[in-house]
Amino acid sequence: MTNKKTDNSNAINRRNFLKLGAAGAAIGAVTLPAKAKESVVKKIDEKTAGNFIKTHDDFPHEVRDDYKPHSNKDIMFTAGWWGTHPEATDVHESAKKFAEKTFMHFEEKKGFDQLSKSLNAGAWALHNKVSPMSSQAISGEGILKWDQYKKKEGEFLPHHDWVNSHQYKFSSKKTASDTIKRAARLYGASLVGITKRDKRWDYADFVDPHAIMEGRPEDAIYGWERFPFEPKSVIVMAFEMDYEAIATAPSDVEGAGAGTKYSEMTKVAYQLAIFLKQLGYQAVPCGNDTGLSIPYAIAAGLGEGSRMGNLITYKYGPRVRLAKVYTDFDFVEYDKPIEFGAMDFCKNCMRCADACPGKAISFEKEPTFEPAYDGAWYNAKGVKKYYMDAKKCFHTWSEFGTDCGSCMASCPYNKPDFWHHRLVDKITAAMPGPVHNFMREMDILFGYGDVGNPEKIDVFYNPEGRSYNGH
Amino acid sequence: MVFSGTETLFYLLGILTTLIIMVLIKYNKQFKFSALSWSLLGLGSFLLLFCIAWSVSSVLEGVPRASSMGLVVFGIPSILLLLFGRKIALKKK
Repeated sequence: MTNKKTDNSNAINRRNFLKLGAAGAAIGAVTLPAKAKESVVKKIDEKTAGNFIKTHDDFPHEVRDDYKPHSNKDIMFTAGWWGTHPEATDVHESAKKFAEKTFMHFEEKKGFDQLSKSLNAGAWALHNKVSPMSSQAISGEGILKWDQYKKKEGEFLPHHDWVNSHQYKFSSKKTASDTIKRAARLYGASLVGITKRDKRWDYADFVDPHAIMEGRPEDAIYGWERFPFEPKSVIVMAFEMDYEAIATAPSDVEGAGAGTKYSEMTKVAYQLAIFLKQLGYQAVPCGNDTGLSIPYAIAAGLGEGSRMGNLITYKYGPRVRLAKVYTDFDFVEYDKPIEFGAMDFCKNCMRCADACPGKAISFEKEPTFEPAYDGAWYNAKGVKKYYMDAKKCFHTWSEFGTDCGSCMASCPYNKPDFWHHRLVDKITAAMPGPVHNFMREMDILFGYGDVGNPEKIDVFYNPEGRSYNGH
Repeated sequence: MVFSGTETLFYLLGILTTLIIMVLIKYNKQFKFSALSWSLLGLGSFLLLFCIAWSVSSVLEGVPRASSMGLVVFGIPSILLLLFGRKIALKKK
């Protein structure tokens, strides 16, 4: 009798346990306030990632005393299309070949056919229409113009592209930074950072293609004296590119992934500049022009440098495009450069160098102050980093007739936004160098980062798992 | 679709975790697990859950090879640990 009673008691307890568990889970899920959930998630994130992300007070790469700001003349695109290096005939040839192949010439080959070329053309269309040369590092073109118009009394200018005479005052520097970043996010930026203007990262001079086209070569180069104000801050924005598009590299579908964000970043940089102008501050929106985007992005805490030369962000890896807004507004809290182990991982990984079809990426073990190759007028020398041979890279582009992107696609930091990749990133950051070799091999074994695979184009177009009609 | 694939996965993993814990508690009453058995069975169960989470997530992101590798790298050790833990638990009795 006693035994039976005990058994029943156990059974009831188990049932009660189940009932209580189910009821508790249901009540918990319904009543646990969103704030509490957020703080739990934040706590977990701090415990796992917080310790791995270090901040630096100064620029994290060593810069030699003899470093000189990079000239706009020495950018591969200006040399290729605007002849700023007449001796570089191979670069002119590549530029010509690229221009002939891009958008206008299609092949039977998958990824370079009419479908892919059209996709690419549509992606770039907005950028090419409204700021046609900012991707070629030419300043002040189209809506990215340097003009700081002051509206006259009674004048009606509904586009709002003028500097308000009344300056809005923020209650604190933090509020100002948060508000500017919120605006940038609203307009479409994926990541935003603010840093002090640093003349080291500005172009030393600028190329005026109109003067070249109009046969006035003596006016082709101009300096900062034409810039409308003394910039004090630079707002840097990163734009996440589509994972599946970039994974098709090298192809026009990858080019479309890049072009889509060039169009978007042009729009967003312009919108943010108007926001600042309407607050009463001067602002100039920029794409690849006016200054070097990558060191500015590093200084603004958006990510780390890398072997391939691109910025590696914590969230999206190298799969981002960058835009900047120069402004005279300086009542802001500046961001600090961050470090989460990407540069350290690059020392051992070299997947981008292996994947590069033009062999443009360095295999050097350690970063250096100078490139290993001679005659590199196109590299900003004197910064301790990995040097990428932009000339070889550009020659490869001309072969494909589109930008390549194999380095980004092959990078182990380039992953879609899934929990297991974030976990691996955090583990990688905590591990010492020798483990990075193992991580690189596992990345290959698990099937990530292979380039030149036409099946990825099928994955890009595959409608499975996607809903286009909203349900 | 009401829930995304990942949301459904983690909901099902929650149920599975509860079931595994209940099974372990039930058999602990019967066999009185040693510390070693607990460690092996606990680690094995964790790896099994992680293997399912990894492999299903890899399928959801469209990388079937990562899913297969997940089964090999996490799934096989988890089964070995569970079998070894079970063997020790039974032997003790």
